[in-house]
Formats: sequence, C-alpha cells, structure tokens
Amino acid sequence: MKKNVYELKYRYHTGSVAWVLHRLSGLALILYLVLHIWVISNLNNPAGFNKVMAFLNEPLFKLLELGLWGVIIYHAINGLRVILVDFFGGSKNQKKLFWGVVVVGIVVFIAGAVPFIGNLK
Amino acid sequence: MKVTFKIQRFIPENDTKPSFKEYVVEAQPNTTILDCLNDIRWHYDETLSFRRSCGHAICGSCAMNINGKNGLACQTHVQDLKSGAITVKPLPSFPIIKDLVVDLDKFYEKFNKIKPYLINDGPVPEKERLQSPEQQKLIEESTTCILCAACTSSCPSFWADDDYLGPSALLKAYRYIFDTRDTSAEERLSVVNDKHGVFRCHTIFNCNEACPKDINITNHIAKLKTALVTTKL
Ligand code: SF4
Ligand code: FES
Repeated sequence: MKKNVYELKYRYHTGSVAWVLHRLSGLALILYLVLHIWVISNLNNPAGFNKVMAFLNEPLFKLLELGLWGVIIYHAINGLRVILVDFFGGSKNQKKLFWGVVVVGIVVFIAGAVPFIGNLK
Repeated sequence: MKVTFKIQRFIPENDTKPSFKEYVVEAQPNTTILDCLNDIRWHYDETLSFRRSCGHAICGSCAMNINGKNGLACQTHVQDLKSGAITVKPLPSFPIIKDLVVDLDKFYEKFNKIKPYLINDGPVPEKERLQSPEQQKLIEESTTCILCAACTSSCPSFWADDDYLGPSALLKAYRYIFDTRDTSAEERLSVVNDKHGVFRCHTIFNCNEACPKDINITNHIAKLKTALVTTKL
C-alpha cells in the first residue's frame, strides 16, 4: 500500500485545529510578504508606484488588510502558545491556552481594527 | 439493539484498493467494539481479519481507527460513540497486510533505534539499582505505554514523513533518558535530535487524543526538546 497518505478525515479537536490554522495563517503571511515586496519594488518608478498605491486604496484591499491583521495576530499569539507548550509545560493546558489565544486575539484585533476603520474616512 | 458496522476490507492478493463492507450485529450499549468484531467474525464472516489478544486494554494489539479516531477496540464501547453506523478502519498510514491488520515492522525498527533497554556501564550493584520515589515519578507516566501504535499512526508529522520516529518511540526515549539508573542519555538524545526526530513534532496533540492510556505524550516530547536546546551534545 502507498505510504504518505494524509488522513484529512481524521477526527479534529482543539489541538489539531489550532495547528491547521497556524499553518494556514503562516502560508497567508508568506503570500502577503511576496505581495508586499512586489509593491515596494515599484518604488523604482514613482509614477507606477502611485498607480499601485491608488489601486490598493480600493475597499477590497482595506478589507484584506483587516484580514491580514487577524492572520498576524493569530499566528503571533498561537506561536506564543506553541512556545509555552514546547518549553514551559503548557501541554497540560493546551486547550485552555488555545481559548486564551482566541480571547486575547479578538481583543487585540478590535483594538487595532477600530482606529483602522476610523482612519478610513 | 442493532448496531451497523462499516468495516474497511482489503485483501492485497485480490483487491487493488480497500472497500467498505457493512455488518449488522446485536449489541448492548456497553458492548466493546472488539466484542462486536468477534461477533462478526464468529457468526457472519470468518474472513474478517483483525488483531487482538488480551481484551483488557493491556496488550496493545487491537488499536484501530474507530469513527475517524485511533483507539483500542477492546476499550471502546458502543455507547462511547455517536449513534449511527460505526466505521472501523486499520491504523492510518501503516501498510495494510489484510483488513484491519497493519504492518508494524518499521514501527518496531524505530523503537529499536532509541535502544529501549537500560544501559549502565557502572559496576553492577549487589542488589537493585535504587531510585527515590521522586526519581521514579519522573518516568512513571512514560512507563505505562502498551506500545499499541495508536499515537504514531494518528500523527500528521508521521503521515508526511515515513521516517519520523513518532510519538511512541520518542516517549520510550524519554523513559530511558530521564531514568536516573541509565547512563546513555547523551547517545539517545543524539538519536532523537535527528532530522526525523523530536523537532518534527509540531504540537498537534493527535497522539494525546489517541492514547488509550491517557499519557500526555506531547509533554514528554516537549521535555526532550527542552533537554536538547539546553544541553550541549
Ligand atoms: S503512548 Fe499511548 S498511544 Fe502511544 S503506543 Fe503507548 S499506549 Fe499506545
Ligand atoms: S486486545 Fe489487548 S489491548 Fe485490546
């Protein structure tokens, strides 16, 4: 039988969901970094840069930026959870720690999103 | 009550890929999945293959994937599962020998890599090598493993890397590395420091969820990681 089968239907639980989200948010951050570097590289050409910046002012990109803020927060705070699990005996409380990540994450998200939306006008 | 089982069947000589076969058996809420499988084998279909021995959650033979999660058939009762058909598959990611029987050779090979026996080059004492209760406590949880392979088979890092030592072997490595009577910690630490070793663990916790002995395997792996980043090899 073939090996290396990903058992995507294996029963999910707090720990594995946290891990899947961590991976997905990591991938999203890589994608963002690539786009970011591309945008910055337009600085070679000021007129082009202004055009790109105008394009990025579309509401769709504002929404995506808000999403980016959420992705960064999850990846950063869950990263702290992983450090606690790996080096500070956090494994016994990993599920509570995950919900801690969610609560702290939401608070930080709102704290950043409110001024962000306020500045849009 | 009537309980429906969907069991994955695979006979390498005849089949190109596994398929599911349904069986309906009479069971009580507290009947174990192993008893149901025995019932099927003894009364409905003697060609069904699975491993079992003790029937009391101590030999580690009957680990399988029940309703999408690894566990022991003899420790899982019908009432522990959601109502509806019960799906039984072999342990994921091991080669299938037949039906629910998987090939564990490679699993045991990895186990041997970490030298699962006491090593002590000191002089042999007249009586036992004494440990204090505190010293024993360090390894107590890790000694309760029954080597059922449910954890390793549940681990996404193992699904991705066939050579990953896996939670079971790492737990056993912990058991000797932190045994105060053992003098071979350094050698074992360098084995688990391999690129297919302890740092493949991404704290997904599937192993903990699967372990029929409720061992906090991830915690032991974390102790190995800590030991590796704090000692100079
Ligand atoms: S650690 Fe638990 S799941 Fe893994 S082999 Fe031992 S008893 Fe089985
Ligand atoms: S038959 Fe021995 S552990 Fe299940």
